[in-house]
Amino acid sequence: MTATIVAQQAINGIVLGSLYVLVALGLTLIYGVLVQINFAHADFVTLGAFAAYFVMHALGGQYLLGIVAALLVGAALGWAINITVFAPLRRKGNELLPLIATIGVSVMLQNAMLAWFGPVPYAFETPYSQKVFRVAGTFFTLQSVIIIAVSATTIALLYAFMKFTFLGKALRAVAQDRETAGLMGINPNTLIMLTIVISSALAGMGGAMLAPVLVLTPFAGASVIVKAFAIVIIGGFGNVEGTILAGLLVGLIESFTTQYLDPGLIDIVVFGLLLLMLAFRPTGLISERREENV
Amino acid sequence: MSVLLAADSLELAYGDAPVCRGISIEISEGEIVALIGANGAGKSTTLRAIAGMMTPRAGSIMFAGQDITRLPSHERTMLGIALVPEGRHVFPFLTARENLELGGFKNRRDNAKVRRMIDEIFDVFPRLRERSGQNAGTLSGGEQQMLVLGRAMMSEPKLLCLDEPSLGLAPLLVRDIFQTIKAINKGGTSVLLVEQNARYALETASRGYVLQTGSITASGLCAALAKDTRVREAYLGRAAAKAGAA
Ligand SMILES: Nc1ncnc2c1ncn2[C@@H]1O[C@H](COP(=O)(O)OP(=O)(O)O)[C@@H](O)[C@H]1O
Ligand SMILES: [Mg+2]
Repeated sequence: MTATIVAQQAINGIVLGSLYVLVALGLTLIYGVLVQINFAHADFVTLGAFAAYFVMHALGGQYLLGIVAALLVGAALGWAINITVFAPLRRKGNELLPLIATIGVSVMLQNAMLAWFGPVPYAFETPYSQKVFRVAGTFFTLQSVIIIAVSATTIALLYAFMKFTFLGKALRAVAQDRETAGLMGINPNTLIMLTIVISSALAGMGGAMLAPVLVLTPFAGASVIVKAFAIVIIGGFGNVEGTILAGLLVGLIESFTTQYLDPGLIDIVVFGLLLLMLAFRPTGLISERREENV
Repeated sequence: MSVLLAADSLELAYGDAPVCRGISIEISEGEIVALIGANGAGKSTTLRAIAGMMTPRAGSIMFAGQDITRLPSHERTMLGIALVPEGRHVFPFLTARENLELGGFKNRRDNAKVRRMIDEIFDVFPRLRERSGQNAGTLSGGEQQMLVLGRAMMSEPKLLCLDEPSLGLAPLLVRDIFQTIKAINKGGTSVLLVEQNARYALETASRGYVLQTGSITASGLCAALAKDTRVREAYLGRAAAKAGAA
């Protein structure tokens, strides 16, 4: 009996955790390459969720196309925030301004969404939430299977892109030493654009799959982003492997805290862990190496 | 010999602080040119301007008949200028092999060619073949210097700019590095060599420029510069200066 409960909570935790990973990876990539934080990332999650909602309903229940739409909306938002905020402010050479500007973009997007979609929560039911499988006493929905399959595929593709393609290696080079990457013939601006577009697409996609779990309002992303920040810090800022690990860990903590303690304690446990990490292992789970190399 | 690079009256500054005034340097095809001077004279700054990492306040840079004064560094690399920056600047968390691959970014659509060129570099530096899967940040200083030399050659440059390639290396390795530079030059690549180690630089290059607090104060054939009393006194040590005067 207890074994099935543990297995059940492990499944729930991994489903939730893989969504956190999608959202947190975007933050970590942007930090890794630009040393910047995009505070509008939360709203890209929300807009992805709304995009999935409306596209799914317009197409008569095609949830998977909703996810694709969310990905595209996220990518477009990433492109837009780079040409309006990050690129022009980078040319000015100020480090603090982009951060403040993205807070402004976030407030703007939230109010725009409030005007368009209203404050009343949307009920996001996908056609797959009702299909339940039972395996060895545990049960899961087709929705969770889709979430795990889509996130795992996305994360694997991203990982392979970074590890094995010329462009992915160039992206890591820009993250490590932008000026020297330029000397290789790499246009850093192109790769920064690519990073922001990929990151934002991940946020939109994460939103499309989180929405059925969350209460979908114009502020839905905000509740996720706080955990995503915790995950990025626990994983080690800019560290992709660490972020994946930390995201799954936080998902698991959340589901087991709900089972064995109290759902109200989730944030306390997660941020307790965060404080412990900051105190004892400030470089993150996989302590990679950020010291300058001469 | 036709002129490959002509920097004319460059004015270089960081923010409001002027560093180099009226720098003019010419490099012909197939030449090794040395740029020597004391610490802080502006050698690295001059190289940064040539590689496109900073834009001059005034003056112009022509390369292979084209005005490149305003081109960013990545476009200059595509035209055939490679810079090995001071302090090496390997990508520390990429493997040695990946560092070389990125050097060949220009040829990224021709994987076979990139692999072939990496093999050639491994033939020149067998140490790098042994270390190819290791993160570049974990290599020794000498290995890193070989790596950045190889990485620069991966872009098939017409002009290779080297910023203090001997800095921090054991004397035996320094000899090797200068041998390699000569070999690279024999292969047809022009070289602009910045060195504090003036003795080696003047031995390796055919012509040289002396940079003093941001201005060029002497230039000419290295053999002549090496006999110049002021150069000997300032850069080749007192003993050499006395010997020259005697
Ligand atoms: N990034 C920088 N910002 C401001 N001043 C700099 C910078 N880099 C170098 N300088 C100054 O420019 C002068 C020339 O430096 P540099 O070109 O590095 O000399 P060298 O390579 O001959 O030792 C020095 O006075 C140095 O302090
Ligand atoms: Mg220097």
